[in-house]
Amino acid sequence: MNNRAVQLLNRNPYLLSLLLLIIMVVINRALQDNLFEIGPLNGNLRVFTPAILVAVGQTFVVIAGGVDLSVGAILSMTNAILATQIPQDATGDVFVRALALAIGAGLLAGALNGFGVTVLRLQPIVTTYATSFIFAGVALRILPEPGGRLPRELTSFWRNPLAVSPDFALPMSLIVIGLLILFWVVLTNIRYRQNLFATGSNAEAAYSTGIRVNWVKFSTYLFSAFFATLAALALTLGTGTGNPRAGDQMTLPSVVAVVLGGTRLAGGQGNAVGSIIGALILGLIGNIISFANLDSWVRPLVDALIIIAALAIPGIFGVMRRLTR
Amino acid sequence: MQGKSRLMSVLMIAIVVFSLGLVTVSAQDEQSFVIGISNSFVSSEWRTQMIQNFQDTAQELSENPDLGVEIELVIESKDTDAAGQEQQIQNLVNRGVDAIIVNPGDAEALRLALEDAVAAGIVVVSIDQEIDGEGIVNVVIDQTEWARISIRWLAETLGGEGDIVLIEGFVGHPANTARMNGVEEVLAEYPGINVVGRETGSWDQATGQQVMSDFLASLPNIDGVWTQDGMATGVLTAIQTANPAEWPLATGEARASYVQNWNAILEERPDFKSIGVVNPPGVATSGLMVAVELLLGREIDPEQLGGPYGNTLYVPIPYVVLGEEWTYTNMDGEETVLPSNLEEIYTEVAELPESYTLDGELTLEEVEAFLLPAS
Repeated sequence: MNNRAVQLLNRNPYLLSLLLLIIMVVINRALQDNLFEIGPLNGNLRVFTPAILVAVGQTFVVIAGGVDLSVGAILSMTNAILATQIPQDATGDVFVRALALAIGAGLLAGALNGFGVTVLRLQPIVTTYATSFIFAGVALRILPEPGGRLPRELTSFWRNPLAVSPDFALPMSLIVIGLLILFWVVLTNIRYRQNLFATGSNAEAAYSTGIRVNWVKFSTYLFSAFFATLAALALTLGTGTGNPRAGDQMTLPSVVAVVLGGTRLAGGQGNAVGSIIGALILGLIGNIISFANLDSWVRPLVDALIIIAALAIPGIFGVMRRLTR
Repeated sequence: MQGKSRLMSVLMIAIVVFSLGLVTVSAQDEQSFVIGISNSFVSSEWRTQMIQNFQDTAQELSENPDLGVEIELVIESKDTDAAGQEQQIQNLVNRGVDAIIVNPGDAEALRLALEDAVAAGIVVVSIDQEIDGEGIVNVVIDQTEWARISIRWLAETLGGEGDIVLIEGFVGHPANTARMNGVEEVLAEYPGINVVGRETGSWDQATGQQVMSDFLASLPNIDGVWTQDGMATGVLTAIQTANPAEWPLATGEARASYVQNWNAILEERPDFKSIGVVNPPGVATSGLMVAVELLLGREIDPEQLGGPYGNTLYVPIPYVVLGEEWTYTNMDGEETVLPSNLEEIYTEVAELPESYTLDGELTLEEVEAFLLPAS
C-alpha cells in the first residue's frame, strides 16, 4: 500500500502540491470563517490570478531547461501599454486594439529572449536578467508615473463574479483557471508536449532524434511572455490603472510557484497545473499570516519559513523514498 | 439572629446583582471598533513612527472617558506592491473591520479596492496621500504648501539671485509630484534664481549624500540646494565633507539627526542657516481620530473638504524649525511670522534617537472643527 502511494506520487509530483494546497486551505479556513463565501473567494482568486498566469508561463521555460527572469518586467511593460491605450471612454474596438498591441509587444519581448538563448546561445538566466532592464525601461518610457484609468464597465466585468443564476455566481478568475487547466490538458495530448519534455531532459539526445530543439526553446519564451501579458491584463482590469513597476515583485515568486508545483528546476519534468497550485499556495500563505494575528515584524520571517518548509517537503519525501527502498 | 443574617444575605445579593447590572450598563455604553491599518512601506523611520502613533492614539482614545470607545487595531504592514496592498485591504474587509486607514503606495491602483470597502459599509481614511475615490476621506498635510515654505525661504535668503540645485524624492510618487509643483510655482516668482541641476535622492540619506557630492564636484559654484526630508542630513554631510570655501545654502529637515547636526555646526560657523519644515507622522493620529468620529456617527462639514478631488481634510503643518525669525508669505500674499526656535527644539531632541521625526498632530478639539455639530 505504502509502495503504491509512493509510486503514485512519483509519477504525479503535483499530487504532493495538491495535498499541501488542501492543508493551506484548511488552515486558512480555520482562521477565516468566510473564506468560501463568494465575496472573499472572488476577491482572493482575483488578486492571485496575475501570479497564477505568470507561473503557468514560467513552467514552459523551466520544463525546457531554462528560466525567464524578465516576466515581471514584461508584465510592467504590457500593463503600461494597456493603461495608456485604454482611456476612460474606451469603446470595444479601442480595447481590442490595445490588447492586440500589448500581446504584440509581449511576444516581441519573448522573441528577444528566445533569440538571445537559441541564436546567441547565451545562458537563459543572464539573457532574461539583462532583457528585463530593457522591458522595465520601456515600461517607464511609456508610463513614467503610475496612472491611467480604465472604464468602470471593464473593471467591474472582471472584478465582479459572473451571475450564472440568481443564487449562483462564479468568480471570473475561476473561469480563467479552468481555461488554463483545459489548455494544459489539450497541450499534453499533442506532439508538442513530448518535444518540450525531451528538450528539457536531454537537449542533445532530443536533437539527435530529430526534434528541433531551438524552436522548442524559442517557443517557451513566447509562452512565458504571452502569459505575462495575460497577467498584465488581469492586473490592469483588477486595479483599473497602470504602474510602470507593477511586475517588480512578480518574477521570483513565479519561479517559487513553479517549484512548489512539482516542476523540476533542472528541466524535463513538470506540470502547469502544479504551478497554478503553487501560486495558490503562495497566495494563501499571505492570507494565513494576515489572519494569524502575528506581529508585523515577524511576518516576513514566518512567510519565508513556511515557503522553505513547503519547498522542502518533496525533498524530505525523496529521502523517505530512498530509505524505504 | 438567623433572620438578620438572611436579610443581610438578601441585601448582599441585591448589591452584587445591582453592581453587576451597573457593569453591564457601562460596558454597553462603550462602543468597540476594530480598525484596520494598511501600510505598504516598512523601511523608513517615518513609517515606523507612524505605526507607533497609531498604537499610542488607539490606546489614548480608548482611555478617554468622553468618547466611550474601545479600539482594537489590526495592523497590516509590510514592504509590498499594489497587488500585495490590495490583498491587505481585502483581508481587512473580510475580517469585518469597522474602518480602514491606509497609507497607499499607489494612490490609483487601490481606488477600486477601497471603494469596494466603502460599499461594504466600512469607513475608509487615506493618510499621507490623496486618493480620488467615492466615499474615501483623505487626511493629509498639503505637500505642495510644505515645499513652498522651504523653497521660498531659500530664494529669499539668497536675495532672489543665484544658481541652485534640486534634490527630489521618488519621481512619480504622488507626494513628490505635489512638492515639485510647489517648488516650480514659487520659483516662477524669482527669475534671478537659476536651477542648474535636478536629481533624485530617492528619499534616502546615503543616496542624497552621493548626489550632493556629485553636484559639488561638477558644479562647484552653486549658491544653494533645495532638498526634502529623508535626504537633507545626507546632503548636509556631503557639504561638510567637501567643505567648499563658501558653503551653499541648504534646506534641511525636521528630524532629530539634522537638528543635532545643525546645532553642532553653529558652534564653528555662527552664520550657518537652514530650515526644517515638519512633515508629521502624527497625521496617523489625526486620521485615526477622524475615523473614530465618523464611526461614532459624526459627519464631516462639507465646507472643510478641499483638495484636487474635493474629499481631503488638510491637517496644518505643525511648525517650522528656524535659527532666526522669518516672515513667510504664501501664494495669496498672507504673511506669517515664523519664530526662531532652533535652541528650544534642540534641547527637546538632543537626547532623542537620530531617526526621530519632529511631530505634531491634531487634538480631538481640532478634529471636531472638521465636523458638523453633533445632532
